[in-house]
Amino acid sequence: MSIAANRRSPLLQTFLGAFLILWLMVAAFPFLWTLWGSFKVEGDFFSKADWSNAIFGTLTEVETGAPFTLDGYYGAWVQEEFWRAALNTLIVVVSVVVISLTFGTLGGYALSRSPYRYAFWLLIIALMFRAMPPITLVSGYLLPFFQWNLWGHLPTTIIVLVAINQPFTLWMLTAFFRNIPKDLDESAMVDGCSQFQAFRHVIIPVMWPGVITTGLFSFLLAYNDFAVTAMLLSKENQTMVPKIASFLGTTQTKGNVMFAVASVVSVTAPLFVLVLFFQRQIVSGLTAGAVKG
Amino acid sequence: MAEIHLRNVSKRWGSFVGVKSFDLEIADAEFLVLLGPSGCGKTTTMRMIAGLEDLTEGEIRIGDKVVNDLTPKDRDVAMVFQSYGLYPTMTVYENIRFPLKVRKVPQVQHDEMVMRAAEMVELTDFLHRKPAALSGGQRQRVALARAIVRKPTVFLMDEPLSNLDAKLRVSTRAQIKNLHHELRTTTIYVTHDQIEAMTLADRVVVMNKGEVQQVGTPIDIYDNPANTFVAGFIGSPAMNLMEGTMTGGVFEGRNVRIPGFDGVRDGAVIVGFRAEDAALAETGEIAAPVYSMELLGDSSMATVQAGGTLVAIKAAKDFSAEIGAPVAASVPAAICHLFDPATGLRIAKGAA
Repeated sequence: MSIAANRRSPLLQTFLGAFLILWLMVAAFPFLWTLWGSFKVEGDFFSKADWSNAIFGTLTEVETGAPFTLDGYYGAWVQEEFWRAALNTLIVVVSVVVISLTFGTLGGYALSRSPYRYAFWLLIIALMFRAMPPITLVSGYLLPFFQWNLWGHLPTTIIVLVAINQPFTLWMLTAFFRNIPKDLDESAMVDGCSQFQAFRHVIIPVMWPGVITTGLFSFLLAYNDFAVTAMLLSKENQTMVPKIASFLGTTQTKGNVMFAVASVVSVTAPLFVLVLFFQRQIVSGLTAGAVKG
Repeated sequence: MAEIHLRNVSKRWGSFVGVKSFDLEIADAEFLVLLGPSGCGKTTTMRMIAGLEDLTEGEIRIGDKVVNDLTPKDRDVAMVFQSYGLYPTMTVYENIRFPLKVRKVPQVQHDEMVMRAAEMVELTDFLHRKPAALSGGQRQRVALARAIVRKPTVFLMDEPLSNLDAKLRVSTRAQIKNLHHELRTTTIYVTHDQIEAMTLADRVVVMNKGEVQQVGTPIDIYDNPANTFVAGFIGSPAMNLMEGTMTGGVFEGRNVRIPGFDGVRDGAVIVGFRAEDAALAETGEIAAPVYSMELLGDSSMATVQAGGTLVAIKAAKDFSAEIGAPVAASVPAAICHLFDPATGLRIAKGAA
């Protein structure tokens, strides 16, 4: 702070502070509003009479006897068996992350160390596939999946999600591996490793931040996906996101919208935990120059 | 027993020649330096010996084993990389131990071997640090310790000192020389620094553009350069190479006239001499105005224009002259080397 170049005028200081607070409020408002509202009844959260009902919970108090209620969560998780969707999401996400990271690290390492030009074209093609909207893949798959009786099952969705995600993981991990000097592999090989041992004992430990960052992006892709999971999963195999969509889709029944709001909060919460937990690795992964010895 | 035989070793990438039919026998316990400017193929040659690069042609033998098709780990070599190649996630101790671990040396011996290697390069105080917390010189010593820890048959060192500052370079150089004396392991050392080559080598291989220019002891290469490239590369300053013509045993060029080359064929010729062999004098074979004066500390260096180039002449440190003032230098024929201007090759003096 004592450095002259870093000193700012008090006016600018105040303005910056005010702007930051405003920006934070605008950014965080939808989350906070939803979180608060998820403990109300529909009549409050979607009140036509007075918007402040959503804050004070007037109708919630009338209906349940307290300003806060867990009805939305109970309805979603127990009555509508949202836990089943959560379990399905867990299966899909873990499988997608594990499979894409396995192929991604092996393939990314090979591509990053390949002296041949085809490695470059493979990556360009991968980038093109990454750029396509996921739904373009799904429309092509639907008919064969119906005919071969593969539609509706989790493994089918996992394979399709891996196919969508793999080009990206490959691309990203190749970039990370390229940042690791080749000297490391070579000194490992002279020290007595086979190429695979060099990869396992020397390169992967250095690569952890990159693997974790890429894994997190894969996780988010699988976790947030709607297009593929909505199209390819039968009702009993639904994951969380399409399940939320189906809560919203049946507004005829009272309370379902509140189930959706409660499950939205349930879906968002783990993301915060995850990012907080891995933030150090993500930051060091994104600034991957740090791997130099 | 670890002689190394290179027979007709070549490396090409498409039409680009990296190394051109390299032939060499390296004796057991020899310290061989590959010397040349960057891009001359010296590192490629070393990498082919290490097994990190395939040969296009030829054969490499270590001991009595042809190693062409062996992976690096099966060649029993150890290498020190220019960038050290330390494993950033491991401590110094783990780094040095790594070769023992992957080569399945019995666990009980590890500690003793690591400690001995660390002692040899004076690293015992830093064993629990990560490489990132070390200075350049310390990292360099970790790389050395990792190479010597398991007693390989051949050491390969790829410009190990080039990332160090000048002072550290001198002390590490001495350390490497001492290590080689103690371990008696066949060592191949790549450098572009001719002082390193002169101080360390038993024999020097001078390379340029993928081709071997001369192989010999440092003295041999310094005193009898085989061609103008070697003459111009070795020594600090490099040999002065003047262009001119020979007529009846007298060499003449701009500002220079040297008699006494009896029996040398007439025609265009390059005459070379070393700055320290010549001396400033009242009158001499070279007479020209001073182009520049440099004080080196133990001496000073006068530069004049002669024979189509700048010629350096060593003088006493208290010698001083204004730029432009006339000086003369005695350059007797006896200290001169003759080269053919067309091929660059050395012409033996006295030959017809």
